[in-house]
Amino acid sequence: MTEALTRPAPVVTGDRLAGKTAIVTGAARGLGRSCAVAFAAQGADVVLVDLAADLPGVPYPLGSASQLAHTADLCAGYGVAAYPVRADVRDSAAVRAAVALCLDRFGRVDVLVNNAGIAAPSGKPTHEITEAEWQLMLDVDLSGPWRMISAVGEVMCRQRAGSIVNVASTAGLVGYRHFAGYVAAKHGLVGLTRAAALDYAPLKVRVNALCPGSVRDDPHVEGRMLAEIARSLEVPVAEHEETFVQAQPMNALIEPGSVAQAALWLASDESAQVTGAVITVDGGFTAR
Amino acid sequence: MNAQHSAQHPDPARLCHAAAVRLAADADPDRLADRFAAVTRRHRLAAGRLWVERVLAGLAATRRDAELARPLPAGGPDLRAVLLRHDDGADLVLVARRPALGRHRLGALLTELTQLTEPTIAVELSAVEPSAVGPSAVELSAVEPSAGDDAGDAGWLRGDPGVDRTAVHAVAVPAGTDLTALVAAVGAVLARYRGVRRPRVGAVVGERLTVVAVPVDGGARDLLATAGPGSPWPAPGIQAPAGLLDVEVGVLDADSTADAYRPCLAPVWPLTLALAGTTLACHHRTAAWAADLVEAFARQVVRVLGQVLAEPDRPLDDCDPLGDAERAAIVALGRGPGELPAAKDTIHDRIARHAATHPDAPAVSCAGERLTYGELDDRARRVARGLAARGIAPGDLVGVCLDRSVDLIAVLLGVLRAGAAYVPVDPAYPVDRVRYTVEDSGVALLIGAGGVDAAGLTGDGPPADRLGDGPPAEGSRPAQPPVGGPDDPAYVIYTSGSTGRPKGVRVPHRNVLALVDATAADFGLGQHDTWTMFHSSAFDFSVWEIWGCLLTGGHLVVVPHLVVRSPGEFHDLLAAERVTVLNQTPSAFAQLLDVDRRAAVPLAVRLVVFGGEPLDARMLTGWYDRHPETDCRVVNMFGITETTVHVTAQTLDRGLALAGSRSVGRALPGWRVYVLDPAGRLLPPGAAGEIHVGGAGVADGYLHRPELTAERFRPDPFSGGRMYRSGDRGRLLPDGRLEHLGRLDNQVKVRGYRIELDEIRQVLLDDPAALAVAVVVETGAEAADTRLHAYVVLADAAGSVAELRRRAARLLPDYMVPATITALPALPLTANGKLDAARLPAPAIPAADQAPTPADDAGLDERIRVIWQRVLGAEVGPEDNFFDLGGNSLLALRLLNELRDQGLADLTPRHLYLHQTVRGLAEAIGAAR
Repeated sequence: MTEALTRPAPVVTGDRLAGKTAIVTGAARGLGRSCAVAFAAQGADVVLVDLAADLPGVPYPLGSASQLAHTADLCAGYGVAAYPVRADVRDSAAVRAAVALCLDRFGRVDVLVNNAGIAAPSGKPTHEITEAEWQLMLDVDLSGPWRMISAVGEVMCRQRAGSIVNVASTAGLVGYRHFAGYVAAKHGLVGLTRAAALDYAPLKVRVNALCPGSVRDDPHVEGRMLAEIARSLEVPVAEHEETFVQAQPMNALIEPGSVAQAALWLASDESAQVTGAVITVDGGFTAR
Repeated sequence: MNAQHSAQHPDPARLCHAAAVRLAADADPDRLADRFAAVTRRHRLAAGRLWVERVLAGLAATRRDAELARPLPAGGPDLRAVLLRHDDGADLVLVARRPALGRHRLGALLTELTQLTEPTIAVELSAVEPSAVGPSAVELSAVEPSAGDDAGDAGWLRGDPGVDRTAVHAVAVPAGTDLTALVAAVGAVLARYRGVRRPRVGAVVGERLTVVAVPVDGGARDLLATAGPGSPWPAPGIQAPAGLLDVEVGVLDADSTADAYRPCLAPVWPLTLALAGTTLACHHRTAAWAADLVEAFARQVVRVLGQVLAEPDRPLDDCDPLGDAERAAIVALGRGPGELPAAKDTIHDRIARHAATHPDAPAVSCAGERLTYGELDDRARRVARGLAARGIAPGDLVGVCLDRSVDLIAVLLGVLRAGAAYVPVDPAYPVDRVRYTVEDSGVALLIGAGGVDAAGLTGDGPPADRLGDGPPAEGSRPAQPPVGGPDDPAYVIYTSGSTGRPKGVRVPHRNVLALVDATAADFGLGQHDTWTMFHSSAFDFSVWEIWGCLLTGGHLVVVPHLVVRSPGEFHDLLAAERVTVLNQTPSAFAQLLDVDRRAAVPLAVRLVVFGGEPLDARMLTGWYDRHPETDCRVVNMFGITETTVHVTAQTLDRGLALAGSRSVGRALPGWRVYVLDPAGRLLPPGAAGEIHVGGAGVADGYLHRPELTAERFRPDPFSGGRMYRSGDRGRLLPDGRLEHLGRLDNQVKVRGYRIELDEIRQVLLDDPAALAVAVVVETGAEAADTRLHAYVVLADAAGSVAELRRRAARLLPDYMVPATITALPALPLTANGKLDAARLPAPAIPAADQAPTPADDAGLDERIRVIWQRVLGAEVGPEDNFFDLGGNSLLALRLLNELRDQGLADLTPRHLYLHQTVRGLAEAIGAAR
């Protein structure tokens, strides 16, 4: 690990989202935190949603309340309002309450980043997945984004404006061995993106998907997804980065900041006519 | 005509205002929240809870300003309260919707919330709302908007065509300024910009919205005399009362006891002036009001405020918004760059000098015949001698009625050499016009060809003659004393104008020399250039072509009459003669473009000068594809016969062409441009008025028409000398360039709206499907019968005008949408290359036969169709759209009356807007029965 990687990546400040309000799910750490901070640095007020607790059936610790509060502090440092909200994307009422808070406080919901998701239980062939494991994976990774969209959809349609960014994965485009549930959920999310985009296009509400490749577990955003994927594949954690890098055309893992910049562009009016798009940030992984 | 500032669905931020107070660090958030809940409940305000947030060190001001700027959403609560706690205390920020909570109630609410005592002694909010505001306690009149006066005159001010955003510009106003004085001052300035006597100014008075029609004939004090109740602010979901929010400028009071107050979170009106003490904050939308114009407007309002406060009885129209310094700056802005030394010689002296040093250089050619400068000089000398032999003396007028030939040029030069002035007469003109010119000018001699003799210029007319075969020159160039001086007339050209009989404009030598001196260096004119003489010698564009060429040593190619009429042959001539300087009217150039697009031969043209009529710069993009700006410079020049051909010059490029620039550029060196109001007062940049031209190009006047001369040629009060009143509408841009907005008499009234035919033309031309457009007005017996007709030349000859019509209907208010759009293969042009409106065909809607009466037993569809035909005066099919066929709101009412009278249905206009075809309407009526 070089010295450069131990410092946080610089965050570019500006007004690309000035006056806008964004809801980011899974905001306690990882890509969610990276997106939230990038948005706040560009002037967006943020509502930061996270379960902030462990989930029975998920074999690794999820984001904590402390991590969520830290994301809120990082955002507030850019002079915006940041509301941490503990909510489970499997719970319709909780999801609606989070959206209502955003609307009551700020008067509008401009951006939704559907980032919350789990990578495991995984690591087994398709027929070995239990009913409960399958249901849990789809409930969080596919139904969760749908619940969020159904909660903000009406608000955004009334506004005649809004941008929804679904954080899918290259697993939404290609298959991975021993990840059937995850791959199915992410493929479903890409399909949900395209269908919802058509539903809302006449009302100028946009829905796009981002497909990151293997994202480095940046310690500054406390990412750990790649490590969990490695563990599911029984790759030794000590050497997992090197293993994944070998599969990358650009010989590097994806930085969370790269994904956040793509999300920022999709969230902003700069992409005003982009909807139903599936954008890869994978260093060329799916180009082969 | 962008309707981005819709009054029907106002941006919610326009109706919001916000205030903040600083509380002590020990203010208890829970207690404040309880009190907030109690107070809002008591006053039945739709408000959420008090939001309490902790702000990181150093960000308190940032967060407070952000909260003050955050509007309430449409359909949301009436009030938002946020407590921002930080190290220095806490800021309580309230954002309120004005319809629910006005300025005084908001202030009272803040007071009540922050009182240390319990709210038992709180003031009753409803009781503190004043009926009026400020020490003068004025109620300003709320007026109904009308279609008269200033309606429909869009585009009077230049906004920034880029992104529409909002900005604020603050200025200091004199102490003692109140809302009444401000309304008066804004009205006085606005009246200048818009050229109206009762400008409409929006105002918020005592929490009520009003529009004041400010009578500028009266003083500020007189505004007190009118009183009206105004209107409440439009509540959420309720339309604003018509006209209340759609004025361009409005004022409101922004005094507040709060630590910070934002009177509006977006400009209530496109320019919203908020008065707080002696500070005036000018909130504006940049798409409607560019920042530099807001600055100027605010400065002028402040100047008038001083006058209004000092003399409240002084008529507002007499106030001076500019002051001497600003006036001098505007005069300087309209002055051409650089100095132009006064000419001391004559046209013929200069050409003779060039002939003496370059006798073998090519001078004039036409259809195979060529003259060198030496030969031209020789012929001109013989002509002059011949004229002298016939008794022509310096100062005489000599008519020249010759076909295009090298002789024509030699004769014109010979007339000048004789010390006389030429009066060009085009032999192609109708005999009556020729006779009128000859008789009106009283020429001492008419030099003509045989055709003119036969045309009836015998009898009492002057002797027709032909000087082609004068005696040969004796000796070689004996030293002749120069004849005449720079102030002697060089030519008299007849110009029609829009009304009255043609009149002769007398132009002296020095004007022509000044024109060439003003342009030669900039355009790089010299002996390497070959020019065409494309235009009739009776059209003053030819003055520029002939003398611009010969005075700079160029080679003049006289274009034969038949070649002028054939763009293909003309293009061949340009290539064969390697013409470098081409002068064209835009209409003629449009035809040449078409040929150039297909032509294989390269051209040597390095300079194209447009003149004679307004240019649509968009037509140039195709030209630039083949002739890039680096190879060929394209200059648009605005000019008038009375100011010696040209006045301004704008070098164009692809960017300006794509933007459809209307700029005609800055005045030429030595020329001056002023934009004046009807009272002859200088208007500031951005304001449209009548173009006046002073300086080196101003002609002597009209021949034998002293009254008309005195009326149009006035003393120049700004720079001395004389200036010419053009009858053209225009405005100066802040950088000194002039925008030409068409003839003043191109403004017509349709159904009470004052409209610009040029504006409609421009909208149609914006569509790439249209290559050329003409718009004419047909005046009917009744107001509703007045119709606009458009004629277009389509890029695709087989194309349809339907899409053009739909586009026009989208972009123009319905009273400006032409009733018919007729496709033509080409627009008819006059001999001078300008649009010949008289030769336009009848519009392409077949008139209905004798008004048929629908038979009672006919089907419902048929009976409705017949009524449509009668009302629209056109054939109507079952699927034809009412509005596509020229239907407007007045014709709609007539149609609905007929339907009712025939006992078919009693409908409102809304039905017609929902069902715009015969079939649709019939089905709707059938379903309702």
